Amino acid sequence: MFRLILGVFEEGFIYAVMALGVYITYKILDFPDLSVDGTFPLGGAVAAILIVAGVNPLVTLFLAFLAGAFVGMLTGIIHVKFKVRDLLSGIIIMTALYSINLRIAGKSNVAIFSKESIFENSFLDKVVPEPVKFLVPIIILLLIIIIMKLLLDFYLKTKSGYLLRAVGDNEVLVTSLAKDKGAVKIIGLAIANGFAALAGCIYTQKHGFFEISIGTGAIVIGLASVIIGTSLFKKRGKVKATTAVIAGSVLYKACVSIAISFGMAASDLKLITSVLFLAILIISYERKRRVKTNA
Amino acid sequence: MLFVLLCSLFTGCSQKEGQITIGIGQFAEHGSLDNCREGFLAGLKEAGYVEGENLKVLYDNAQADGGMAAQIANEYVSKKVDLICSIATPMAQSAFGAAKNSDIPIIFTAVTDPVLAELAKEDKTPSGNITGTSDKLPVKEQLEMIRAILPDAKKIGILYSTSEINSVSAIEEYKAAAADYGFEIVIKGITAAADIPLAADSLLESVDCISNLTDSTVVSSLPIILSKAANKNTPVFGSEVEQVKIGCLAAMGLDYYDLGIQTGKMAAKVLKGEAKAADLSFETIEAAAFYGNTAVADNLGINLPDNLVSSAKEMFSEITE
Repeated sequence: MFRLILGVFEEGFIYAVMALGVYITYKILDFPDLSVDGTFPLGGAVAAILIVAGVNPLVTLFLAFLAGAFVGMLTGIIHVKFKVRDLLSGIIIMTALYSINLRIAGKSNVAIFSKESIFENSFLDKVVPEPVKFLVPIIILLLIIIIMKLLLDFYLKTKSGYLLRAVGDNEVLVTSLAKDKGAVKIIGLAIANGFAALAGCIYTQKHGFFEISIGTGAIVIGLASVIIGTSLFKKRGKVKATTAVIAGSVLYKACVSIAISFGMAASDLKLITSVLFLAILIISYERKRRVKTNA
Repeated sequence: MLFVLLCSLFTGCSQKEGQITIGIGQFAEHGSLDNCREGFLAGLKEAGYVEGENLKVLYDNAQADGGMAAQIANEYVSKKVDLICSIATPMAQSAFGAAKNSDIPIIFTAVTDPVLAELAKEDKTPSGNITGTSDKLPVKEQLEMIRAILPDAKKIGILYSTSEINSVSAIEEYKAAAADYGFEIVIKGITAAADIPLAADSLLESVDCISNLTDSTVVSSLPIILSKAANKNTPVFGSEVEQVKIGCLAAMGLDYYDLGIQTGKMAAKVLKGEAKAADLSFETIEAAAFYGNTAVADNLGINLPDNLVSSAKEMFSEITE
């Protein structure tokens, strides 16, 4: 029972890292960025291949982020500089990454069970006593998600962060401030995909292997987390959007877990997700309308 | 959160006294893997574990979604099942990762290369509390069979998914052994089922026959390949009995049901406490069996050699759709 909840939080935190990125594109920039379906496994491929090569697992976190950010930048450039529609830019990058990820990893499945990771290494073996070992992943994941959340909160308060938020709300304002809104979008996409790749890197280290199919539907999980989180917690006092997104990700994983517990076939889960999605959208819309009519 | 709590209490209490619960996680929906699962349950039955009586089976199919496989594995570990059976490589790896900090044994099947997947060490001993059976193709026997049926053939074409690790390692083996039998291997990689028609056309331009792997994507679209090959009068060889049934000329292949039975028996040993998964080396089916389809042979105007036919495990005289 405890293990079940622990598992939900572990998975939820891993995907929350990606969801924070999706929050930037979807909620702030109003950009439906499908490239995360490719950058999530990109982070995994980078992690696997670097760890096999003997690179320190902590270092792979940074390198995976950079790889994701670079690709996010490309999505942005395709959209901003070459005037390709947002959805298409993402699809182009996502499709290209399938081949690139295979090239990076060398094959479709790379096992790293026997190598050191941020969750299992000789340092932790020495420091952590055997009976509490099972708590190590959740503590590490909690640390990572807190750090990433705080970094993002901090960034959104900087000048560049304000501009980012302004682009989504009011492009004219940004232009009138004599700022290049295209450049701001590119930065936003870079950060978002950096987060997605970082999540893929953590996922691969947590599960012990890279598999090309892990990106399938990543964007759906990201969007679900963002929408569930922001819809449920928006009106609840002072919960920050980033916190809400993290909670949304955990809730999403909890729903999937419940569905599996009840013997739901994996093939039906996507339908359940859609229904859940729709219900939340309708409920949040209802509430918005009621608030308006009451006012 | 409260909901999760209630649910797991609910499922936690439904276990009967003295009953053994196992979780069967299957990576994808596909004939061979389904046969594995059925064989596995049959193997357990032979050893005295009957579903519904003293055995409770949880079954989940990840539908080829890596994230889902991880979630299913987590689910089994948190439910503290007595044993996890994992069908196909990514599922086995997910279970291995998820069960690391528990004492749940894992039995895998349909993992082509357990050493490459890091589920076993070079000497076939387990990497942890995990063992099972490999579905490594009998490549040499297959090449020998093709040579016997087609004495003049030079080029064998193989379609494979670039995303399936099993296929990639099988191709390496084909390439390494082909020259010994005077063949050249021509490969065409695909990334999705949608690529198959064009890839098959292009492959059929240059080869004397096609040999299939156990590649899920390709096998699922086999009828397309078979009809294109039939138009060009090119023989297609299978890697498994199901493929011969639906129109491959012949196969020196595995019987996934038998593989499942073998796996089920290993699982029973572990459940009975006769052995620990951590101490059992993984097993492979050594003997390749010949399967042939006389209806296909007639269509192509090919005579299947008598010695092969007489040694066949099963012969088919019609093509089942």
